[in-house]
Amino acid sequence: MNPTLKAFIKKELVQTLRDTRMRVLLFGAPILQLTIFGLALSTEIKNIKLAVFSQPGDTAAVRLAEDFYSSGWFKPSVFRPGEDPFELIGSGRADAVLIMPAGGLGRAAGRAEGRMQLLVDASNATKARVVEAYARTITARAAAAYGPAPEQPLSFDVRVLYNPAMESSLFLVPGVMGMLVCLVTIILTAMSLTRERELGTFETIVSAPLSDAEILLGKTLPFVLLGLVVFSLVLTAAHLIFGVPVRGPLWQLFLAAFVFVVTTVSVGTSISTLAKNQQQAMLGGFMFLFPAILMSGIMYPVENMPAAVIGAAYLDPLMYFMRLLRSIMLKGGDLQVFWTNVGALALMAVFAAGLAYNRFKQTLD
Amino acid sequence: MNGFSLHRAWAIARKEVMHVLRDPFTLALALGLPVMLVTFFGYAIDFEVRDIKVAVADRDNGPAARRLKEIFSASGYFQVLEAADPVGMLDSRRADAALFIEPGFSRDAQGGRPARAQFVLDGSDNSKGAVMMAYLPGIQRAAAARIYGLEPAFAPLSVETRFLFNPELSSRWFMVPGLAVIIIGLLAILLTAMTVAREWENGSMELLLSTPVRPLEIIIGKLAPYGLLVLTGVFFVYLSARLVFGVPFEGSHLLFLLACLLFITAALSQGLFISVAARQQQVAMQVAIISGLLPSMLLSGFIFPVESMPAFFQYFTMILPPRWFMVAARGIFLKGSGLAELAVPLAALAALSLLLLALALKKFKTDLEP
Repeated sequence: MNPTLKAFIKKELVQTLRDTRMRVLLFGAPILQLTIFGLALSTEIKNIKLAVFSQPGDTAAVRLAEDFYSSGWFKPSVFRPGEDPFELIGSGRADAVLIMPAGGLGRAAGRAEGRMQLLVDASNATKARVVEAYARTITARAAAAYGPAPEQPLSFDVRVLYNPAMESSLFLVPGVMGMLVCLVTIILTAMSLTRERELGTFETIVSAPLSDAEILLGKTLPFVLLGLVVFSLVLTAAHLIFGVPVRGPLWQLFLAAFVFVVTTVSVGTSISTLAKNQQQAMLGGFMFLFPAILMSGIMYPVENMPAAVIGAAYLDPLMYFMRLLRSIMLKGGDLQVFWTNVGALALMAVFAAGLAYNRFKQTLD
Repeated sequence: MNGFSLHRAWAIARKEVMHVLRDPFTLALALGLPVMLVTFFGYAIDFEVRDIKVAVADRDNGPAARRLKEIFSASGYFQVLEAADPVGMLDSRRADAALFIEPGFSRDAQGGRPARAQFVLDGSDNSKGAVMMAYLPGIQRAAAARIYGLEPAFAPLSVETRFLFNPELSSRWFMVPGLAVIIIGLLAILLTAMTVAREWENGSMELLLSTPVRPLEIIIGKLAPYGLLVLTGVFFVYLSARLVFGVPFEGSHLLFLLACLLFITAALSQGLFISVAARQQQVAMQVAIISGLLPSMLLSGFIFPVESMPAFFQYFTMILPPRWFMVAARGIFLKGSGLAELAVPLAALAALSLLLLALALKKFKTDLEP
């Protein structure tokens, strides 16, 4: 390697890492964020505030309410007798209200007329759906007290693969890892050239005895390296703190990370050549990050997107990386999945690097 | 020289407006980006799980097995694929679940004996897995009726559900206000995060300080134009939510404006505090994105409900302005919540605005001490 290029790369690394604040932001923040999000986030809905309206002395209703509260999904909502159930939900003091039949639940159920009304706050539609499903499960179980449940002649043996305990952290933590690596690499690169130009140090670099490609390499390679270091850090943290398994081979994981980091570093570098000032660079970085995270599949299934816009998701490098991480870590890395997604990422990396190079040359002239 | 002068704050604001006007890219982005992103993602995001792909290995090939497959596809939730190696399809993501029907299934069913099939599902996405499991009892009941000719089971207890505020359970109605909150908040942080750091880097801060302008005037002068800009963005988002997505607006517009103003002030002050504290644009960007982007997307209740978090994190989210505005925006849009219901979120937003503003001012003043 050209010694000037080597020195250039070293300078770039030293410059980025010499600031303590930068070191903390670069290495400390991702681990802290992984821990916070891994602990806090769960796709399971819990602590649903439920108010049960029943006649005094209706012991069957009290027993059913107990079933709801002991399920772990519901918790009692505080209300005064005679309050309006709609008002209770409207004010947000209850998420759901269960209204028992007027003549007492036990008697009604004996006549097979134990019809209860459940009012659900559907301003959060997904949550409302889950609340209803929980309520059905609990009442179906409670119904057994009123006569044996009919034998189901057909039954399924259900087996859950890859995540038998269905823990949300196993699903969410690899997603958060991908987001953090994406975030760090974009932040590092989106401003780098814009800043040099604003400060006037860009001319000094250009006058160095290096070709255009070498300058670009010197401006990107250190960040690819840092991106991989951050990836290793969050991977270790995910494994040690959350027990997320790595069932596939490590080379797959690191090859995927390498191709992904090259893509995001190139995207960031392109942004920094396009931006006229650092504020534009930051807004440009945001314009990439926000859609990339939303369409990555960590928050909702990408396959559900309407056909007209799903094409946009296929342009999102983070979506491929997320699929790769989940496939390698949780499922052992099926080779076909691996090569298709890595291939798609590599294509993007080449395209983004070409764009960065092209823009970079124009900036030099 | 002493005291707050509106005139001097106005001068700073004018200078900041000129900055923005000179940079059409930033201006277009600030006005257009929120409505673009809200419209696109409001349309794109859909939480309903459907078209679950089930790879079926039918080793029975009898009439009952065929009927079971028909029941799966007729349910509307499942898409049945014949497969020789269903587990391989799960490994490669080509199927979400696998169904094994062993030889003898139809014989048992026709003889009236209990019959069993194995259902294997991909649990790596636990919420999707839970949805699949929730569909199984319905399939079981339908199979009992069609294969064994049994009457629908006697149900002593039943629940009749009424969904309030969003009877059709449209996920757009709750996604669109949520998206608006996140995008507006982020934009506000990003716009101000650079302003002071830029002046320090360019050296124009020293110049500004040698004038009689006081710190509070600089801060107000820097906040006001961006506040106006973001508020205009909110107006476009509001139009898109109402006209494009038909989201109902049950509450008071005045209250919504008040909530918006409080939230925008909080987010702008957060950006300003970052800018004052960082003094360097790159550090400012890092902190702005780290403290803005992910926490507001993940911890505000946008998708992952705050109530489901462990107790510690429920308290932790209280320091995030978007968490409070999320409650207020969804409440005002969908539930018609009034001042009484939203007293806590609004008070929290006001308190956070004041706190962040005070922090920015204090940090700014200490920096000015010789």
